[in-house]
Amino acid sequence: MTPARTFACLSVFLLAACGADPAPEPVEQIIVRQPDTPPAAIAAAAVATAAPTSALIAEGKAAFANCSVCHAVAKGAPHGAGPNLFGIVGKPAGQAAGFAYSDALKTSGIIWTAAELDSFIAGPATKIPGTTMMAGPMADAAKRQAVIAFLESSDAS
Amino acid sequence: MSKTETGSPEKKGKWTRRAFIGAGVVAGSALVVGVAVRQGNPVNRLNPLLANGKDERLLNAWVKVDADNIVTAVIPHVEMGQGVYTALAQMLADEMDADWNRVRILEAPADMQYVSDSIARDFLAPDLEVPALFEPTVAGGILELAQAMGLQFTGGSYSVRATGQRAMRTAGAAAREMLVAAAASEWQVPAGEISTANSMITHARSGSSAPFSQFALAAAEQSLPARPTLKTPDKYTIMGQPKARHDIPEKVDGSAIFGIDANVPGMKYAAVKAPPVIGATVESMDASTAKTMPGVLQILNMGDFVAVVADGYWQAQQALSSIDTKYSKTEGDGLDQEAIFARYASHLDDAGEDGGDSETEEGDVAKGFADAAVKVEAEYKVPFLAHAAMEPMNCTAWVRDGKCDVWSGHQAPVKARQAAADAAGLPFEDVTYHNAYLGGGFGRRAQGDYIAMATRIAKATGYPVKMIWSREEDTAQDFYRPSATSRFRGGLDKDGRLVSWDNIHTHLFDPKDAPTVPYYKIASHKIRKVEVPMQLRFGPWRSVDHSQHGFFIESFVDELAHAAGKDGYAFRRELLADSPRHLKVLDTAAKMSGWDTPLPDKHGRGIALVPSFGSIVAQVAEVDMSGSKPKVTKVYVAADPGFVINPDGFTAQMESAIAYGLTAALYGDITLASGKVQQSNFHDYPMLRMGEMPAIEVALINGDHQHLGGGGEPGLPPIAPAVTNAIFAATGKRIRELPLAKHDFA
Repeated sequence: MTPARTFACLSVFLLAACGADPAPEPVEQIIVRQPDTPPAAIAAAAVATAAPTSALIAEGKAAFANCSVCHAVAKGAPHGAGPNLFGIVGKPAGQAAGFAYSDALKTSGIIWTAAELDSFIAGPATKIPGTTMMAGPMADAAKRQAVIAFLESSDAS
Repeated sequence: MSKTETGSPEKKGKWTRRAFIGAGVVAGSALVVGVAVRQGNPVNRLNPLLANGKDERLLNAWVKVDADNIVTAVIPHVEMGQGVYTALAQMLADEMDADWNRVRILEAPADMQYVSDSIARDFLAPDLEVPALFEPTVAGGILELAQAMGLQFTGGSYSVRATGQRAMRTAGAAAREMLVAAAASEWQVPAGEISTANSMITHARSGSSAPFSQFALAAAEQSLPARPTLKTPDKYTIMGQPKARHDIPEKVDGSAIFGIDANVPGMKYAAVKAPPVIGATVESMDASTAKTMPGVLQILNMGDFVAVVADGYWQAQQALSSIDTKYSKTEGDGLDQEAIFARYASHLDDAGEDGGDSETEEGDVAKGFADAAVKVEAEYKVPFLAHAAMEPMNCTAWVRDGKCDVWSGHQAPVKARQAAADAAGLPFEDVTYHNAYLGGGFGRRAQGDYIAMATRIAKATGYPVKMIWSREEDTAQDFYRPSATSRFRGGLDKDGRLVSWDNIHTHLFDPKDAPTVPYYKIASHKIRKVEVPMQLRFGPWRSVDHSQHGFFIESFVDELAHAAGKDGYAFRRELLADSPRHLKVLDTAAKMSGWDTPLPDKHGRGIALVPSFGSIVAQVAEVDMSGSKPKVTKVYVAADPGFVINPDGFTAQMESAIAYGLTAALYGDITLASGKVQQSNFHDYPMLRMGEMPAIEVALINGDHQHLGGGGEPGLPPIAPAVTNAIFAATGKRIRELPLAKHDFA
């Protein structure tokens, strides 16, 4: 086996992936607006449809922004890096179908009451050592209450 | 090329073509030395990808000396965390006798313009024969080097052993000899009496001394030496030293710029989604909700993927999620995991004991088996793997006025530039490719797909667009490490010596020696493969086919040892009777581990040795099986890459290869259901956690300074079999299928 042979093969690997595919133009191109056009009308419409039901829930939704990187909160939405939390309040921990929970969470026996959620969010790794949820503690108690209110509201509407 | 010669020189960062040709110097620099690969070698067949015209030359390594005595090493490789900038600069600086504290590093631009015929004539003697310049290269090395440099490819653990050994050192030595010649001429003394050190030229007898910079201009007038003298290891002052990594400070303070950090004024963001079944196309999309969502600028059905362009990335991603997309049917729609391995099995069954494509054969295997006192058979399986680079695939592109600019991190910048040119429908010279640090490559960033996608989106919009793949897209649209099945038959004589070896396995990509074991003394052997058609996209994954075959081979050797009633280490020692370098590596790892010392109950030690990419690596893993899953507590590594250029960097590569390989051994498993990849993110495609990282000890052996091996990949192949052999030692349970997460150890 010579080094030269090795590289020749690797090059083939590379070139093959490069291919000679044509560069197809878009099959369909929907231009909503140009970058320099203010999106006023659209923004107004969006705000109108997304009116929050209460100030606390709105605050919770805002506080949940960081959490939403991993967690969806919508019926039928796929799990992300964390499970979909739609209707989580009142459910047993670690049981949503299709999500690979840590053994620690799966066997915790916890029912996600508001109080349990509060202590979990206050210190995930303290409450359930071995959890794979990578988020740090949410120290602000008021913010935790708002997040829980938001989660509770998720399946109420 | 002619287009860019008019008006002001085309800016390529600090590079201008005119500066090279016109003055023979780069602005502010007094000497530039390049090492060329000439035409007339087989690199010509790559020309359509590489060059603008038939007269072009590929120049691959450069050094320049500035007026303030700064030596700049121009590195034709990309930095993806492997420390290549530093190691290659060490090789150049050492041969040049440069002051390491005054060495700067510049990544070569993805540009063929400055490697033109006229430059080659200006800087190299016209009658210079390249093979002479490239002494001491091994036979056949020119082709390999030309391909590596022409593609500007970083991978195959090639940078130090090929570019460094054959080009950076040569360029440094040539520059030094030219500086000395210039000084000798000025001082009217014999060149042989002049010494160099720390970027200074000294003639002791006359008391003359000057910095490199003083003679740099005059040196540029000297003819380039055809055979610059390279140092022997006893003269190395920078090679072999654990010099601090050039790229670490900016990565620690956060100022390092990765591809994903590209920032172009007026830039918008694109989120993309390709059909979950590879090979399918987008039949229709319902974007009625997406159209109304905040920040959305454009929604594109590109045929092979859907893109949303928005003011912000989050907005683009949210709108993309709302689009209901229908995909075409493909032959792969019904494919699932079991069917793939069943397909492998049927192809292997069909090949039987004598079929398949022969790779190597020696001795009479049939007779070996017939005479064997003990016969051992085993089948092993490994899964598809994703690369999971920390920085997801991304690319920023701007196509306007017949020009295209592209910003990304890619392992082959020239190829990336070509991919952008093809996608933009523009000539190569109208595309400028800006490479940044790669947040992990592992072979994934050797593919041109993401460059082409971003360029197509940018072309459609007309304004600059940064396309970022979600982690889900990165996981589901990879060029996967192929899954594979491998079957072995082995025969032992009455004394437990291995006399016959028969292996047949599914597909083989690269390197071709991955399934072979020439270092083991086996009376007869044959190795065969069967090709199994698949619609998935495969690509190189750190250590490429050694990642599968290292596990297969070293697991089976362990089974043979057990069948022979011998210890895995002692059995391998017998097999390595004619391979002293390999034996030394094996012995070193075993000795470090205290191989014969007892371990607590439910603990085990496993050993594995895999030579790959020119380096020999043995590892001993210790596992603790007292819990519900394996805990790898310690890994001892012995490695012989010929000569270690940077011990700190090489050790880091051994450690990171173990982290990457152990992640795969424990968890890595890309599976298909109904033709779709089932994994999406780190929760279902987990990485090794800090708490799971074993302690690692590394011993380095310099076994052959003239033939260097690679560092980026060879640390990976031994870890999986070392761990599974250790599990066997601890529990008696033989692991024949990865990942370990599939197995129940409770």
